[in-house]
Amino acid sequence: MIIHTNQEPTKPPRAVLLGATGFIGAAIQQQLNSAAITTVALGSADINLLDSAASDRLGEILRPDDSVVVLAALTPDKGRDIATLMKNLAMMQTVCAALEKSGCGHLVYFSSDAIYGTEVSQVTEETPVAAQDLYGTMHYTREIMARSLAAVPVLVLRPTVVYGRDDTHNSYGPNRFRKAAQTDGKITLFGGGEETRDHIHVDDVAALTIRCLLHRSTGMLNVATGVSTSFYEVAETISKQFGGGVEVITTPRANPITHRHYDPTNLIKAFPDFSFISLKDGIARVHEGSANTL
Amino acid sequence: MTLPIIGFAGMSHLGLISAVAAAEKGFDTICYDPDSQQIAKLARNELSIVEPDLYELLEKNQSRIKFSEDLQELTTCDLVYIAVDVPTDDLAQSDLKPINSLVSQVDANLGSDAVMVILSQVPPGFTREHLRNGRQIYCQVETLIFGQAIARALYPERTIVGCAEPSNSLPQAFAQFLDSFGCPILPMRYESAELAKISINMCLVASVSVANTLAELCENIGADWSEIVPALKLDKRIGQYAYLAPGLGISGGNLERDLATVCNLADQNGTDSGVVRAWVANSHHRRDWVLRTLHQGTLSKVDDPVITVLGLAYKQDTNSTKNSPSIALLENLTPFQVRVFDPVVPASAAPNPRCHAAESEYEACDGSDVLVVMTPWAQFKQLDLLKVAKRMRDPVILDPYGVFQAKACRDAGLSYHTLGVPAE
Repeated sequence: MIIHTNQEPTKPPRAVLLGATGFIGAAIQQQLNSAAITTVALGSADINLLDSAASDRLGEILRPDDSVVVLAALTPDKGRDIATLMKNLAMMQTVCAALEKSGCGHLVYFSSDAIYGTEVSQVTEETPVAAQDLYGTMHYTREIMARSLAAVPVLVLRPTVVYGRDDTHNSYGPNRFRKAAQTDGKITLFGGGEETRDHIHVDDVAALTIRCLLHRSTGMLNVATGVSTSFYEVAETISKQFGGGVEVITTPRANPITHRHYDPTNLIKAFPDFSFISLKDGIARVHEGSANTL
Repeated sequence: MTLPIIGFAGMSHLGLISAVAAAEKGFDTICYDPDSQQIAKLARNELSIVEPDLYELLEKNQSRIKFSEDLQELTTCDLVYIAVDVPTDDLAQSDLKPINSLVSQVDANLGSDAVMVILSQVPPGFTREHLRNGRQIYCQVETLIFGQAIARALYPERTIVGCAEPSNSLPQAFAQFLDSFGCPILPMRYESAELAKISINMCLVASVSVANTLAELCENIGADWSEIVPALKLDKRIGQYAYLAPGLGISGGNLERDLATVCNLADQNGTDSGVVRAWVANSHHRRDWVLRTLHQGTLSKVDDPVITVLGLAYKQDTNSTKNSPSIALLENLTPFQVRVFDPVVPASAAPNPRCHAAESEYEACDGSDVLVVMTPWAQFKQLDLLKVAKRMRDPVILDPYGVFQAKACRDAGLSYHTLGVPAE
């Protein structure tokens, strides 16, 4: 459930993106530019949040009326161990220390659906947090760190599986399937690909973030479409983009089937006219933007 | 034998309905309320609530009903019901201050032999807390249903009476009055009676939750809940009167109050209330079915859509909008143009800055992109669907309560969506 501080959309004086060069950060930056919102885009090359002087440096950059979007994190492909957890917490500690000094008009923290238990098939904002790995634990801890900041209006966004053309991660789903189709001419599924997941296009994530910035929304929101699709269907859709010449291979099942659906009611209440990119259209959009010859 | 005089303190929905039923049974009744304006209106037969047959019975029994703002009028009564509605807040928690105050005031104005009966919706433990030396006090379970209140008051299935000592006979005046209703009388200890009322409502909520849960599944797997319901009702363990119609969650206020009471008591006593909380969650989920369906088909696709909403009351045959799904929906449609019509609730109740108050159902449909039937008023069933379709820009109907027949809608060229059936 989120609350719009600005009932009418109002451009923030300035947006500061931490993690601007990442997959989602870059998409948000692009839409901020399109919306003519003054943006300071910072990646790890601009400011290393693990550096001992980073807090002071960031504090000098930030202004009290900034809208700050925190995406910077070491993702699971960079490590799932305790050391990665501690680095991620240290990065957030840097951000919080800077914000305590400078203050800000609005803080948007990008969390993850990894904070929910894998056994939960229907997720709402009321679903109890039950992180089952260090990555989920990290995000939930960072959410609490963000909320602990005095006098900073905080919005936490918990996105589901995000896909898009420029995704650098190789997690199981549309991105990996497309790469496999392109390079190997085949997509190999776990079992029959029966598991259902909610896949959201990165442009939708960015568009919703811009809306939250314009409304200076606070609270917590799952960022998901409300439509879950099986991995088999995703693979078949991608295969069709390649003219059907991509083989979808099923394998003997090693793990139980789990499903994940989102109830998008709160998102609809927040943005009742928002229109999601369908998975089919989103996959086509990714395909058109890539070199896609077999 | 002289008939006892029956008093009713608190001219809320419950009090007025109960008093009219008592008068209809032939008893002289005295109706007290401290609100002089309310009393003056009632004395002129001006009603602020809508219930079938209420006005007619009030008029018919005028000679046996005396409305008064004077508490001392109750001194002549043999039996006085405390019948004020107990208000609830947004979390469905009861505010007992007004009824506590009323009980004390009435008690101070009753004859020493008069019997006091708590008819209001009170939590377990309330009546025993109000035991006083020398005062005969009981509680009685009301099972008022908005829209059927008069029928329920005149012909109850049974009367549940909470007593300090259930094995003792009821006082003569009380027994005489209850006997006039010709139904079984079930005396039990106070706490049992107070919890019996809640237990009845929990059973109803359980049935509705089953219906809502499985109706949603039907919508997704190609089954039709309306085909399943008759099979369930023929099962003796379920029964023909079971609450199996899917709906938009629990509304009206009373069921929500009882759900909150059970959760509070469970928390205080360390008992399990997980299933009750699940019912509440399911109710919230189903309440937003219309919003989700609207978003999927219209809000996310049509630029500045026009939405027609028929019905504002929380159910048919009442003007109550307490926890009304229609009002809840409209709160989420504030960016859009809505055209609203309800037979009794004014459009001003709609929390929407772009609301048009239509003068008729048909006018409400003019230029609309979708028609949503949010209260199943009987008169909506009589609408000419061809006429409706012609007046709409995009002939789509969301009819959660199944006011219309799917085939009739299709024949009229309307795209039809209802609960418990897969979308077309």
